[in-house]
Order: sequence, then C-alpha cells, then structure tokens
Amino acid sequence: MSEICKVAAERRGDVAILSTDGYINNQGGEEIARQAYTQLESGARALVLNLEKTRIVNSIGISILIEVLEKVMDRKGKLAFCCLTPTIDKTFRIMGLAQYAAIYPTEADAVRAVSP
Amino acid sequence: MADAAPLSASRLAGLWRVLEEPLRSPDGPLPARLAQAAVSWSGARCGALYLRDKDAWVRAAVAGTFEPDSLDLPDPIPGEPTRCEGALWVPLSAEGEIHGHLGLDGIGPEETADLAPFLAIVLGGLLGAHRLSRLVKEADFEVRTRLVELESLYDLGLSLSGQLDIAALGDEVLFRSISLTDAGKGTLILIHEDGRLLLERSLGGQLLSAEQFASWDVPEGEAVINNAAATVPTCGVRLASCEKCLVVPVTVSGRRLGVLAVADKESRNGSVLDFTPADARLLSLFANQAAAAIETARLHRAAIESERIEREMELAAAIQREILPHSIPEIAGVELAAANLPTRHVGGDYYDLFPLSRGRLGFLVADVSGKGVPAALLVSTVHAAVHLQIDEAKTVVELVTRIDRHLRRYAATRKFLTLFFGLFEPDTGLLTYVSAGHNPALLLRRHGPMARLNSTGVPVGMFPDATWRQETVTLAPGDLLCLYTDGLTEAVNVQEEEFGMERLSALVAGGRDMPLKLLCERVLAEVADFAADMPQYDDQTLLLLRRKEVES
Repeated sequence: MSEICKVAAERRGDVAILSTDGYINNQGGEEIARQAYTQLESGARALVLNLEKTRIVNSIGISILIEVLEKVMDRKGKLAFCCLTPTIDKTFRIMGLAQYAAIYPTEADAVRAVSP
Repeated sequence: MADAAPLSASRLAGLWRVLEEPLRSPDGPLPARLAQAAVSWSGARCGALYLRDKDAWVRAAVAGTFEPDSLDLPDPIPGEPTRCEGALWVPLSAEGEIHGHLGLDGIGPEETADLAPFLAIVLGGLLGAHRLSRLVKEADFEVRTRLVELESLYDLGLSLSGQLDIAALGDEVLFRSISLTDAGKGTLILIHEDGRLLLERSLGGQLLSAEQFASWDVPEGEAVINNAAATVPTCGVRLASCEKCLVVPVTVSGRRLGVLAVADKESRNGSVLDFTPADARLLSLFANQAAAAIETARLHRAAIESERIEREMELAAAIQREILPHSIPEIAGVELAAANLPTRHVGGDYYDLFPLSRGRLGFLVADVSGKGVPAALLVSTVHAAVHLQIDEAKTVVELVTRIDRHLRRYAATRKFLTLFFGLFEPDTGLLTYVSAGHNPALLLRRHGPMARLNSTGVPVGMFPDATWRQETVTLAPGDLLCLYTDGLTEAVNVQEEEFGMERLSALVAGGRDMPLKLLCERVLAEVADFAADMPQYDDQTLLLLRRKEVES
C-alpha cells in the first residue's frame, strides 16, 4: 500500500474506473473527487471505485466519497465500489455509502452492474 | 429604515420562479445559487450572502458584478432590513433564528420596502432548512462514525483473539488506530520481553524508532496527548515530521510490550486538528486489545514450543528405554537386580549388563554430568562405545580407556561421566573393576565388615590422556555388591536433609538376605518415602549383585 494515495483512471465507454492505492484520507479523498469530477465533466455516466489496494479509510475520506456520491446522484449517474477489504466494506455499510452505491466483489461485476 | 410592504402573491410567485431553477440545479453549493437568484430577482448589480461559521459571519457566496471591497457586512450587524452605504442589508431568519445576511447593491431605496420582506422570509426559510439538513447530516455522520468505532473495537477483539501472526496483528491495530482517530500517520513498535525488536510498522511516515522507545519511561497505560508540539512530554522523545501527537504505551501486567503513536489529526479543510480525550481513550483501548492479543500469540507460541520439546523428550525417553537392559540376564552363580528412575523423561544415568564368555559377567553403572537431552545424548554415545569396545578390550582398564578416547573423539558435547565397570567371574568370585570417579560401591560381606570400593581414577572424558587403576576383590558366596548413583544418596526431604550413604548402607545391610529384586524395590521405596513430596532433580540408579551361596 502506498504512503500517498494514488488514483488511476480508466475509461470504458460511459463507465470510468478509478483504482486507488493507499490511505483514503483528506489527500486521497480529494484526489478521488478531482478525478471523479473530471470523468463526469468528460461525459462519464457511471463511476466504479476499485479499492483493491486500499486498506485504510478515515472519516474525512468517507465524507469526500459521500460528496462524490451526491454529485453522481445529482447527475442521475451511478456509482459502485468493488474489491473492498472486509473492514472497509463494513465501514461503508455503516456509514450509509452502500445505501446509494452498490458494493461488488470484483471490478468486472461492478462495471457490468453500472453499465448503461 | 423602510416600512414593510404587504406580501404580494404575484411577487412571491415571481421570486419562486427565479429560485426554482437554481434550487433544482445540482451545480454549485446552495448559498451561491441563492445569492445568484436574489440578484436576478431584485435586479441588483451585485449581492453577497454571509453565513455563520462557528462564532463568525463569513461571506459564503457572491453574485453579479462583484468588486472585492464591496458589500462588507456592516458593523454593528443589522437585526432588520437596513440600508447602509447605499446597499440593502436583509437578515435572513426562520423560526426566530438568523441564518444569514444578504447584501444587495445597485437597487434604489424605493425598492427596499418591497424586496426585503420577501427575501427575509423565503431565503431565510431556505437557509434554515438547508442548515437543519446539514446539521442532521452531520449528526447522522457523527453517530455512524461512533458506530464504526464500536464495531471496530468489537471486530478487532474478535480478529485479534484468533490472530497469531504478529505482523498481521500489528497492521490491523495500526491501520484501525490511524483511521479511527483521523490521524495522518502512525507508528507501532512492539518488543520482545528481553528488549529485542519484535515488530515496527508505520503508515504515512515513521514517528519514532525502537531506540527512542527503549529510552522512554511512561507509566503503564497512560495515553499522552501533545497538541502543541511533536514532543512526548513525559519522556522528551521528539516524534519525526509531525505537529501534534497522541502516544500510548502497549503494556500487559506492567510489562512494556511496545508503543502506539499517531500524529496530525486531519480536517476537511486540510488544517491539523487537536487530538481529544476521546481519541486518547480510543487509542488506549486499541493498545490494550493489542497487548492482550500479542500476549495470547506469545503464549500460544510458547505452548507450541513446549509441546514440541515434550514430544522430543518423549522420543528421547523411548530411545533411552531401548538403551537400558530390557531384562536381567541369568548368569550362573550370580543374583542380580537393577532399577533406573529418571527425574525427567530422559536422564543422565545408565547401567548395563553383559553376559560374557566362560560364564563371566560385565556390568557398569554410569552417571553423566548434566541432565535432559544433552545428557541423554552422551548416555547414548557411552552405550555405543561400550558395546563397540567390550569385545576389543583385553582388560577392564583398557575398556575404560577406550571408552574415554571414544567419547573425547565422538561425543557432541564436552561433558564427562563417572563410571564403575566390573568384570565378575562367578566361579572364583573374582571382581576386577575400574571406578572412574564414581561413588564408592558398597561391598557387604556375608561374614565380615562392609567395605567400600573407592574411585580408582578421574571421571571419563574429563582430562586428555587420563589413566585409571584396575583393582580386584574377591566376593565370597553371599557377599553383596551395591552400585548406585548420587541421585539416591543425595535425595533430599522437606528439611533439605540428604538420604545419605549411611541410610543406604543400613538399608542394604538390613535387607542383605532378601531376594535382590525385593531389596532393590525396597531401597527405591524408602528413598521415595524419605523425599516425600520434595521434587528430585537427579536420576536414581541402583544395581545389586550377589554371589550366590554354594548349594550344598
């Protein structure tokens, strides 16, 4: 896991896949939001957040993810998470993220679910 | 100050039409959209919306052709619609509470009376609802965050209780500690009981080293917060690359197992927040759970190691049982009995019996220095040496010398042993022996005083080029020879009194007419009675030999 959170973006049609590597804190959350908004501005209709290489998320990171989720919902888009550790999976469910963004075990499952 | 005009339904509908679009739009924050709507509806040149941030009013949004120095909130802040330096200021309130202040510039004084009530009521209501919504969201977020903390503590307890991998355990504790305190970085250091480093893990940068921790003297379980500097106040240790820190020692039963440190609590705006007593309590709970889990893992490893040693000892004991004679050989003219009681699974005592040509008997009793597996290994080497050399040696002393040279050459450990080797010829009663530093053998004459067969040289394996004297003595029919190891004579009772040579001599003398098997059992039973519940630390071996009476 990286010390500074890195975010890699990949576009598959209307779906943007953002893969994180590192601690999703204020810096990590801001980087995710920046790339997510860039993707939305360039026409992405759905976002998949792949957290396979992230083992730790704090409350600041979660609040930023909620902002991203609200933005996606305002635009009538979709957001899904995949490849979460059990700890992060449970945290997202408690924090209410899973109420509006589905969680999938694999990236393929998530992409399939949000594809128009 | 302008008089309030009656609310016009059409005017209100107009305001709503202007507001409808920005309210439904997802672009930009609500304050900006409201400011824009107010400017559009009123026809003002520009507008500014001030919202409360903790104890201060801050400009949250501007709209229209805005200049940096314009529309500063008047001092004192007006409590009702007011014109000030050409601008109209309207407090936006709902439910008796002011939620914001709107300033509009570039509208005529005559419009003040018309505009102000609409703006105050509509925008005030919207801001009130917005603020309430935000407060509900924040409260909901806070409650959920506390729930995550509780769940984390519960999960950590569960996962740590079954986690025996110290590295994985360390990561689990460190990651949860950092995330739940919103820290930017953290370090966990764990040490062995003897002070060696067990584990060092960091995320976001290493805050302190094991060497720094070694010099740290913090009372047990005490969490230390320093929101003013990166120094741990109780010990003066300065943490690396941070502004504020929270540090807690990992201890169990007063023993220091390590330290858990986090630093630089994050905020949404990027500033570094103070750690709170709640953060300290949370970190202490994690440290306590970590300590318990680490102790469990350590005890588990120790139990596995103990079990492994136990299995090895049992194996060694099985091998040693094979080394000792399985039965007492029948030799014409000789009555024999022997017993060996190791104090552990395996011991350092050894005896053996060798039926030889022409009806002769070879026998030995040996006591290896040390105990446990190393002693048992040497016993095994002695056994091999005796069995290899007994047919080669022409005399008893040559045999003992050969055993000595063999041990010095092949034994894995530099230990020595006392040894009594005897060669007995039942026909003549001649006993030829070498006692290499062994306890005096007792010779109980059928007719006559008891004699002691003292040592005839140094223990085997002790000195290079050692030599021994070979002695002979003749046993008359009925004479009894008693060989033993010091585990018998040095057995102690609760008064720390030794069983001693005198008791052994008297016991054997008293039973000289008994069958030797029974006498052997009696001696061991008497020694056990004498020692009672006192644990014994030396093996006990007894070998009794009697020249049989000539049958008439």
